[in-house]
Amino acid sequence: MRLINHIREGWFNLLSSKLRSILALLGILVGTASVVAMVSAGKLATNEALKQFKTLGTDLLAFSVNDASEQDSIVSKINNLTLPDALNLKKINKMIINVAPYAQLYYSTQFNGHPLNGSVLGVTEDFADIVHIRLASGRFISIMDGYEFFCVIGDKVNEQIKKLTLSDAIGQHIQIGKNIFTIVGVANPWPENSFVYADINYSVMIPILASISLSQYASISNIILRLDPKADIELIQKNITNYINQKVQNKRLFFRSAKELIARMSKQSQILTIFLGLIGSISLLVGGIGVMNIMLVSVVERRREIGIRLAVGAKRSDIWALFLVEAVMLSLLGGTLGITVGIFIGYVMALFSHWEFTLFLMPPLLGFTVSVAVGVFFGYYPAYKASQLDPIEALRSE
Amino acid sequence: MSIIDLQNITKSYRTGFSEFCALKGINLQLERRDMLAIIGSSGSGKSTLMNIMGLLDYCSTGNYFLLGEDVSRLAEKKLAVTRNKKMGFVFQSFFLLPRLNVLQNVMLPLFYREESLTLSHQKALEILKKVGMEKFIDHKPNQLSGGQQQRVAIARALVGDPEVIFADEPTGSLDSKTGREIMDLFLKLNHDEGRTIVVVTHDKEVSHLCKRVITLKDGLIVCD
Ligand SMILES: Nc1ncnc2c1ncn2[C@@H]1O[C@H](COP(=O)(O)OP(=O)(O)O)[C@@H](O)[C@H]1O
Ligand SMILES: [Mg+2]
Repeated sequence: MRLINHIREGWFNLLSSKLRSILALLGILVGTASVVAMVSAGKLATNEALKQFKTLGTDLLAFSVNDASEQDSIVSKINNLTLPDALNLKKINKMIINVAPYAQLYYSTQFNGHPLNGSVLGVTEDFADIVHIRLASGRFISIMDGYEFFCVIGDKVNEQIKKLTLSDAIGQHIQIGKNIFTIVGVANPWPENSFVYADINYSVMIPILASISLSQYASISNIILRLDPKADIELIQKNITNYINQKVQNKRLFFRSAKELIARMSKQSQILTIFLGLIGSISLLVGGIGVMNIMLVSVVERRREIGIRLAVGAKRSDIWALFLVEAVMLSLLGGTLGITVGIFIGYVMALFSHWEFTLFLMPPLLGFTVSVAVGVFFGYYPAYKASQLDPIEALRSE
Repeated sequence: MSIIDLQNITKSYRTGFSEFCALKGINLQLERRDMLAIIGSSGSGKSTLMNIMGLLDYCSTGNYFLLGEDVSRLAEKKLAVTRNKKMGFVFQSFFLLPRLNVLQNVMLPLFYREESLTLSHQKALEILKKVGMEKFIDHKPNQLSGGQQQRVAIARALVGDPEVIFADEPTGSLDSKTGREIMDLFLKLNHDEGRTIVVVTHDKEVSHLCKRVITLKDGLIVCD
């Protein structure tokens, strides 16, 4: 009941010096808004960066096989990983669930004599499953295709073809280098993913054996594996390295694991979020100093009032509470408004960056807590000062 | 038993290196239903004495018995409670809280007593009726004349049903006619209700109205 009265009185007092209260409020508002907006932006950016990994699943491990030294890269072929070698990776550790080797081919592609913007990938049947390629029509490359000149085209390639012909892409022919391939499948739009180096939307996928036979430079240089969620990634990497070194010489492996990448990115964006939050906090600090300033002025102005209250029987703790409640109300109000503004700013930022907007609970809670803490912290000293006034001196002051 | 029993009270202020003795050994008994006037020239220590009696300040040496209990070294928190329960104050310049209306001003002592809102409301209204201010309950102090403000201040002093009311120059800011009205109110409260009242004044006319008059001179009682 006493607290309610303090709150009511505090409200009266804040209203009676409106301009000053609004200025102090504004400081807290801007501070809280920047904390909330900054932290929200950090979290939204993190979410966005992680989203592409989450769609593929986090249990992917990829590696590329590169020559250890530059000179003998052309000698190749004899010293290259064969398809059976690559597929046998599945057998070296039971935590490896699926293997998808692929080869990149630097040949030009044409349709009815018109050049296409699309790169050629030699793939196996499981590639679709591992990198989540869904077909719009037709079928995907299968083991049965062997060296056959069949191909599956990405969404963007299909769009280019649609502009050149009225009939369905399936059954039509694409020229890759000097060879003619028959389209057997068309893929749906594929969400871009930095884990896979190729952009499936702009790809013409052919059987991996066909791709190797086509060019003397084509080799199985990239392999993506899906692992058991419980897999020990380091152990598997060691196993793979040993296995590959038995099969081919002078090669160096570069691993990328989705889990590791996600962990690294999360860590980085966590640091970013903390950093942004700190920047926001600086303005909140300035806002807090504003509150303290206003409260100190208020204490000086209301010395006589304090004296009167003490004379009619207020305890020092009552005076202290009166001023502290005022400071906390000021920052609470500023904080609440600031949270609203901050969330709105976060929303606008997401809108302009084409991010997906999610309302996180943490930034508003943080903003709320911090603004109340600012009120208590910066209100404490003025309130203490007010409570320590001598009643007679306070009454005597003008 | 006296309400207030002062035994050899002194009060000295330190100003720089020198010490200034505002009260130099006051002995004073205040009985129930007393109407005491403290007079004396400016600077004679009247306010200092009243502040000590009103527990707004500590004495330097000596003992102060309030209703038989020694309160001269009481902890501050207990002083606040005692002030709230046993004392009422009326000041020269009214000292109403400008932001609160008349009713809220009168209710203030009860607020610090944690009286229920409805009961405080009721008590405050009753007292305001007694001082003739019931028509002004939602006026702000600055909408009232000096005499009216002083009546509200007296209501505030009365609302907690105190043992003694201290008034420091209550007519000092008023013209003589209004001052007389305020003094009449005090006299009536003393006469009709048996309120114990201490009035500090340097106005001889005011002091003549009181049953008992003491004169201070340089921190000593020279005439009782
Ligand atoms: N806080 C203080 N510090 C120093 N001297 C004081 C203080 N308060 C009062 N005095 C001195 O004590 C004397 C008595 O003051 P006061 O009781 O206010 O006189 P009055 O009889 O006019 O009310 C004065 O000379 C005044 O200067
Ligand atoms: Mg005086």
